[in-house]
Amino acid sequence: MSVLVARDLTRTYTLHGQPVEALRGVSLDVARGDYVAITGPSGCGKSTLLQLVGGIDVPTSGTVSVLGTRLDQLDDRELTRLRLRRIGFVFQRFHLLPVLTALENVELPMAEAGMPRRERLERAHELLRYVGLERRERHRATQLSGGEMQRVAIARALANRPAIILADEPTGELDAATGQEILALFRRLHADGTTLVVVTHDDRLAAEAGRVVRLLDGRVLG
Amino acid sequence: MSPLWGLRNLARHPLRTVLAVLGITVASALLLDMVLLAGGLERSFERLVLSRGYQIRVTPKGTLPFDTEATIGPVTPLVTAIRRDPDVVAAGPILAVALHARHADSLLPLVGYGVDPAGQGSYDLLEGSDLAAADSAGLLVGRTAAEALGLSVGDSVRLVGRLDPQVATTGVQRTMVVRGVVRWLYDDRTMRSVGTLLPVMQRFAWPAGNDRASLLMVRARDDVLAASVVARLREAHPEVGVNSVTDLVGQFRERISYFRQVSVILGTISLAVTVLLIATILTITVNERLGEIATLRALGVARRTVVTQVLVEGAALTLAGGALGVLLGLGTARYLDTILTAFPGLPASISFFVPQRQGLVTAAALLLVTGTLAGVWPAWIAARAPIAATLRGEAP
Repeated sequence: MSVLVARDLTRTYTLHGQPVEALRGVSLDVARGDYVAITGPSGCGKSTLLQLVGGIDVPTSGTVSVLGTRLDQLDDRELTRLRLRRIGFVFQRFHLLPVLTALENVELPMAEAGMPRRERLERAHELLRYVGLERRERHRATQLSGGEMQRVAIARALANRPAIILADEPTGELDAATGQEILALFRRLHADGTTLVVVTHDDRLAAEAGRVVRLLDGRVLG
Repeated sequence: MSPLWGLRNLARHPLRTVLAVLGITVASALLLDMVLLAGGLERSFERLVLSRGYQIRVTPKGTLPFDTEATIGPVTPLVTAIRRDPDVVAAGPILAVALHARHADSLLPLVGYGVDPAGQGSYDLLEGSDLAAADSAGLLVGRTAAEALGLSVGDSVRLVGRLDPQVATTGVQRTMVVRGVVRWLYDDRTMRSVGTLLPVMQRFAWPAGNDRASLLMVRARDDVLAASVVARLREAHPEVGVNSVTDLVGQFRERISYFRQVSVILGTISLAVTVLLIATILTITVNERLGEIATLRALGVARRTVVTQVLVEGAALTLAGGALGVLLGLGTARYLDTILTAFPGLPASISFFVPQRQGLVTAAALLLVTGTLAGVWPAWIAARAPIAATLRGEAP
């Protein structure tokens, strides 16, 4: 079954009064357990595609379905709920809340989903163990290294057992050695059955994926 | 994890938060003072005139108590007639005159009160004993007069009445013995006052045969009956003015209406300052955190949650500033009261700032509601921020 189906997506921005076509008719199918890498040069529309399929931006035309639900047919509340429960996001700059500890950052989406405290604490501990940060649970985000922050962000993305993880340049802010750790973590996630779509410049990361979608000037190559 | 994690944002910029709280403290202290001032003087006046339970004042027609030097007379038959009213439990005349006391080699100016201890509502006894009914040599002295003359209970003092300052001749002189030290309820802080029986004080003021008083204080059986007693007295004694405390408070309220206007204007300004301060601080912090908020929204955090967190921050600032504001406001009110009540002619027991539960609750509720509402605009900005565009703006 397809977890994600995108059809003929276009996205046009207005920049300094001029229309800029970031995507020009992109389609994408992601099945359960897929590991898809989206690559291409800067400005080719990779992140825009990820934002559209993740329901945080609206296409100029075309449709996106997640687990059979058309995103354009949802109101803001329903779309927010779908993101909370079905999609996990990992950002290049981690975007952890600096005022919260690693544990609290992982707890946050579960708290928002109304999970009982004991259950979400147990799950947050389990996820931080999974990403190898059980000893850094009580540290605030600002006290963690880049690699640690990204691992917390990955644990946070997994919190509500989403159907798909969308990662935007997850190694983009990390040095090579730390990037390798994140690659290994994605490999493990995939092996454990997680569906992954990763936007990356990183050839090593792309090489790990089962499928590579190459974009150029807002179109899929080949 | 606390559901109020947004509160922790206040700790991110401690100096800014402290300054904001201090700003709200000052504004809320001003608001509190204005609420206390708005009705304080009026409540304090009412408390003063009712302090000994006398609800009615009989004064020379067209005047207020001690407002002029006019007098009522003959007063004895008037008092007798009033005491005959079945709903009157006490009535007593008071005469206020200028007096002097011999002190060392000089004459010290005093205010002399002629009173009837059987129906007096103008002093509280602090030391010694009250005047007996026929004690023509007995004297009551206020604290200020006692200190100025070095008098205590049992001491003697020579009083001088009807002094002509031009020729320094005196109409009457008499040695009196201090029976008690009292607090004259309507005296200001600087007044040196003494009291004797009314007929004795009348002799200090005029030649024999002047049975006059400045006013009469009347106590009805209860407050409800006071209105009907007033009506009866007005009908029976049209030659004098008869006012209930309610009437006096009403007239007093008219005279001090500018206090209420000033306090309402300043209170409104302080509320506006609070709202602007909180809105500014929250707008700055929200704008700084738009990227974070967009991330939260991307993760599936509802707009309602974002709005709640921002409003909670506003409420927390208001609560902290408001709590400190109460302390500062009460302290400031006390200090201002000592300055304002030192004004000559104002009874020392009058207070400009009178805390009242309803006023305090109103001020607190008003502050909390407006402080929280001040976060609405920043919260709206936070909740409506476009997720993708904001995250793109955060991209390196």
